[in-house]
Amino acid sequence: MTTIRRNRREFLRDLGLSTAALPFILNLPSLGFANQTQRKQRIVFMFSPNGVVPWTFWPDNEGPLTQLKESLQPLEPFKNRTLILHGLADRIRGDGDGHMRGIGCLLTGIELFPGNIQGGSDTPAGWSKGISIDQEIKNFLQKNPATRTRFGSLEFGVLVPERADTWTRWVYAGPNKPVAPIDDPYQMFNKLYGRAKDHALASSILDDVQADLAKLRSVVGAEDRRLLDEHTTFVREMEKELKASQQELQHPVPQVEPGLRRDNDLMPRISKQQIDLLVAAFQADFARVATIQYTNSVGMARMKWLGITEGHHTLSHEPDSNKKAQEQLTAINRWFCEQLAYLARRLAETPEPGGPGSLLDNTLLVWTNELGKGNSHTLDNIPFVLVGGGLGFQMGRCLKYRREPHNRLLMTFAHAFGHHIKTFGNPAFCGAGPLTLT
Amino acid sequence: MLHISSHKACCFYLVARPCRWLIRDQPLADHLLKIALILSILTWCGGYASAVENRTQGQPEHAGAKIYKQMCARCHGPQGEGTARYSYPLTGDWSLERLAAYIDRTMPEDDPDKLDAQGARLVAEYIYDAFYSPAAYARLKPPRQELARLTVRQHRQSIADLIGSFRPAVRIDSQKQGLRGQYYNGRNFNPKSRLIDRLDNTVDFDFGTRGPDTETAKFDAHQFSIRWEGAVFAPETGLYEFIVRTDHAARLWVNNLRQPLIDAWVKSGNDTEYHGQIFLLAGRYYSVRLEFSKAKQGVDDSQKNPFVKPRPAFITLQWKRPQRPAEVIAARFLRPQLVPEVAVIDAPFPPDDRSFGWERGTTISREWEAAVLEAAIQASNYVAERIDELAGSQGGNRSQTLRRFAERFVERAFRRPLLPEEKTLYIDKQFTAAGTDEVLAIKRVVLLTLQSPRFLFPEAAGLSPDYSVAARLALTLWDSLPDPSLLEAAAAGRLRDPNEVRRQAERMLADPRAKTKLREFLLTWLRLDTVKELAKDNQKYPGFDAALAADLRTSLELTLEDWLERPDSDWKELFLSTEVYFNRRLAEYYGMTWQGDQQGFRKVQWEPEHRSGILTHPYLLAVLAYSKDSSPIHRGVFVGRALLGLPIRPPMDAFTPLPAELHPKLTTRQRVELQTRPPECAKCHSVMNPLGFPMEQFDAVGRLRLQDNGQPVDASGQYETRSGTLVRFSNARDLARFLADSPETHQAFATQLFHFLVQQSIRAYGVHLPEQLRDFLSQNTRQWRKLIIEIVVTAALAPTGRMAASSAPAP
Repeated sequence: MTTIRRNRREFLRDLGLSTAALPFILNLPSLGFANQTQRKQRIVFMFSPNGVVPWTFWPDNEGPLTQLKESLQPLEPFKNRTLILHGLADRIRGDGDGHMRGIGCLLTGIELFPGNIQGGSDTPAGWSKGISIDQEIKNFLQKNPATRTRFGSLEFGVLVPERADTWTRWVYAGPNKPVAPIDDPYQMFNKLYGRAKDHALASSILDDVQADLAKLRSVVGAEDRRLLDEHTTFVREMEKELKASQQELQHPVPQVEPGLRRDNDLMPRISKQQIDLLVAAFQADFARVATIQYTNSVGMARMKWLGITEGHHTLSHEPDSNKKAQEQLTAINRWFCEQLAYLARRLAETPEPGGPGSLLDNTLLVWTNELGKGNSHTLDNIPFVLVGGGLGFQMGRCLKYRREPHNRLLMTFAHAFGHHIKTFGNPAFCGAGPLTLT
Repeated sequence: MLHISSHKACCFYLVARPCRWLIRDQPLADHLLKIALILSILTWCGGYASAVENRTQGQPEHAGAKIYKQMCARCHGPQGEGTARYSYPLTGDWSLERLAAYIDRTMPEDDPDKLDAQGARLVAEYIYDAFYSPAAYARLKPPRQELARLTVRQHRQSIADLIGSFRPAVRIDSQKQGLRGQYYNGRNFNPKSRLIDRLDNTVDFDFGTRGPDTETAKFDAHQFSIRWEGAVFAPETGLYEFIVRTDHAARLWVNNLRQPLIDAWVKSGNDTEYHGQIFLLAGRYYSVRLEFSKAKQGVDDSQKNPFVKPRPAFITLQWKRPQRPAEVIAARFLRPQLVPEVAVIDAPFPPDDRSFGWERGTTISREWEAAVLEAAIQASNYVAERIDELAGSQGGNRSQTLRRFAERFVERAFRRPLLPEEKTLYIDKQFTAAGTDEVLAIKRVVLLTLQSPRFLFPEAAGLSPDYSVAARLALTLWDSLPDPSLLEAAAAGRLRDPNEVRRQAERMLADPRAKTKLREFLLTWLRLDTVKELAKDNQKYPGFDAALAADLRTSLELTLEDWLERPDSDWKELFLSTEVYFNRRLAEYYGMTWQGDQQGFRKVQWEPEHRSGILTHPYLLAVLAYSKDSSPIHRGVFVGRALLGLPIRPPMDAFTPLPAELHPKLTTRQRVELQTRPPECAKCHSVMNPLGFPMEQFDAVGRLRLQDNGQPVDASGQYETRSGTLVRFSNARDLARFLADSPETHQAFATQLFHFLVQQSIRAYGVHLPEQLRDFLSQNTRQWRKLIIEIVVTAALAPTGRMAASSAPAP
């Protein structure tokens, strides 16, 4: 594995800009290249851990969605824009326990490397052997100037533990290249708007620089004044450019509420904040691909705000016969579904900039989970709940499959972006090609 | 016509250029040991322009002037400035004697007999004083100290020291090398399981299938962990790549101990090599921590699933210094103590102007301005993110502490206390603008300060004479800001005393930043400041690979560092030493028996009857050579330009050396002589080649040879000094001895040192300063450090004529 520090130097090099061409044009927030000629397509993957309670989750029948079960009820308002895929399985085996493969193979569709991370059972493993589908799509979009955006993709997190291991990563830039989600809203804000803020600040200060330069100019001798005069001219030009760049930033910069530290009890507020930032980033066309990861594989959120004091993962091991535990697990999944519904609502309320409809019309949300069911650790019946019109799928229905490898669905996403890959992840599970969802 | 310069068609030529030699007309011909003297020279310079006029008006015309007008001015112009017939100005650095002899022999060009020896002498005397000699030229076009911005190097070092001044100062114990290694018997770093706490020279271990056992410490071969800690020294500025090689879990921190540079705690797949890059500034120590664990991470199932068979384990900590191959980090770069973080601002800058041969900050560009802004933004974010650590503002009256921090920040950046109106603009106004957000106020202050002309243009900062001395001392020796000791001395008015300035300079010389700057100077002087790729022909020089080339460079660097470090080193050693640094690999390659099993470098006597200092160091010889053959021309140009200070320009046309295959019977020397025989080549090559031929004893990798292409090596050479003496050499040792004693070498060294340190034209500090520094070095080669002190003190105390801000008129 190579740990390459992503600094500006490299970023510049990647853009093919020499030092000479540098900072003026660089990092201005308008580096989102808007494309208005073709419909924008976006995709968001949302992760929650520990499986679901099947009887409060899955629709009983294939076909049009009627009454949603309890776990999915928050999606009622979006029922006709929802597609539920039941019966897809994460068929990847090999090293690592169910949780590790559950998160590590979810978006990659390929085995984990052998390694030193020991789970509760099975053999130890390392990182995934392949790229995740979100990054595959991002790379595809970034290659084309018409779909290229400033960031390409954004990786959000909510209360992801501060450790890097197989249980805390689901996005991979390539084999052995896990991508850490940003679960600190302030850090995400800085990533999105730090440059703009810095430039605004810098331009507000250059007036004072000018004033002091004028004073100094009168002090130095005539021969040395030339250098200061040149300097003055450049500072003035820079101020102009910075001001101009401010005006290009037409979309509103969201506010981030203070005090959102990594604290279990703040999870609802952090979640809302991250979703708001995600919507704002889409609005500004900073990226077309996003992921949002709630906690981690084996996540231990304690949803006290729902009256649940037990940790999520501990609860998920309770047998089906424990009615109370199953009710609580249903409530937990319903809470995650509320986050999905909030995201859908925010996108639906936000008009598509420069185009007809709303952001949701051009975005597909994919809510998924590391396991099918917590107490059995099964990788069958992995939840895939899709919302929105981004990929032109036929929505408002439930489709049932029988242990169909989820690799086929991952390929379907890529194909819907026009990226016609023949296989994705382990080719053994791609034989039948993408699913037909249109 | 007087051909001091040579013809355009020639491929190398000696350019008559103002700068060097002068012996006559030296009004203060003795040493510059006393500051009073230096100051009087400078004062004298200042009044020079009027003195010239007085002389031209009041004195009778020189007899040579008349002859010049009659016979020479037609081609050379009334003031030697040149004409359409002959466009090169008559300036140069030959002695009067050599000049007179040359004129007698060759001028006027149409009929040299018109001018006899006496007439030639008169003409020479006249032009020498009127415009030819460097001092005369300097009088006509007086160089001045130009207003300069911080160079890139100074900019980066200043910001690092500015922010670093708010962190505890740490003294590095230079005696202890290596890293502290703590060894734990278990998969975690549980203090109770620590069995070893020791100093490890390097991290380069292969434990096999066992633990790191010692007599007293026995480890579980399945599960143990090690933490190495300390500091790593960056000898040059640039992008470093750290490499951890291990078959188990490891993570590495460098400088920033909160964010690992390499995180391979998850062992995944078969990778055993992990890389991380980081930009580091030269002359500083950076904290480093490396953790290693041989164990499974995650769930501890060692009880449930007992280990069967121990697996092997190894770990190595390597780095790639800028432009160097990967190598294990040697003990000399490591110290077993943690140090405060260094604020390295890595905003990319355009390179500084080096058109005069040294970096200077006398030009600015749009790219530079943008880089300054970017650096200021980076620094403001850096400070804001760490404000409580830097300001010590946890608890207490935060608001007051932050304001105090801001004030001290600006003061230190401006190298002096603030004037009331500066306080208003740089502090009060910014805090008001930020409202209740005090961290924003700090960001504003940092941004404004680092873009302020008072920070960027030290000489325009409105420094009073006291603080100006402090600022210059720090820039000259450290490329940075004054430290507290200097500022205190300035505040107390002690820097008006030249002796105190000298004491400060001596103190500052011991700092790693000064040592680094001197090391960089030596490499620049030897034209080795950029590492060149050293590839040699595989057939002819089997075994000469990248690793050997890197060792060779290390050998030269160690020679220079040792010389810089040793209190009793003599300047002449650079040319006369018969010792060389070798490690086993080098010793074996160069055919020396290596005693003992020590792997690292040590100093050994080597071919003392043939070797003599840097001139015969195999790295230099190998750099100044082609991949198959030696290159007497490159070697000669190096001796001429770098060591003797001859102004040799590059060839107008590109020439490739005659291929050896075309002349299978000739030696390298003979081929070079053949190719440079045409008169237009010989003009300059007759100077250069004989300076390079003495090194023909050594082949393209610097090995001694007695034969070249089946013939005995002819290593004879010669040089006509600027004063017209012909010196002959029969080998490289002869040449080295000549160079060690030659005033020309002394002057070239002193002048280049001055330019490297002060970054201004030397004659702006005294028309005769180069000659004075030369004489000083000639007479004090054992006290070469004093030469540095003289340069530093001269530059620090030189008047500029700029007004201090306190006396500045109101705008």
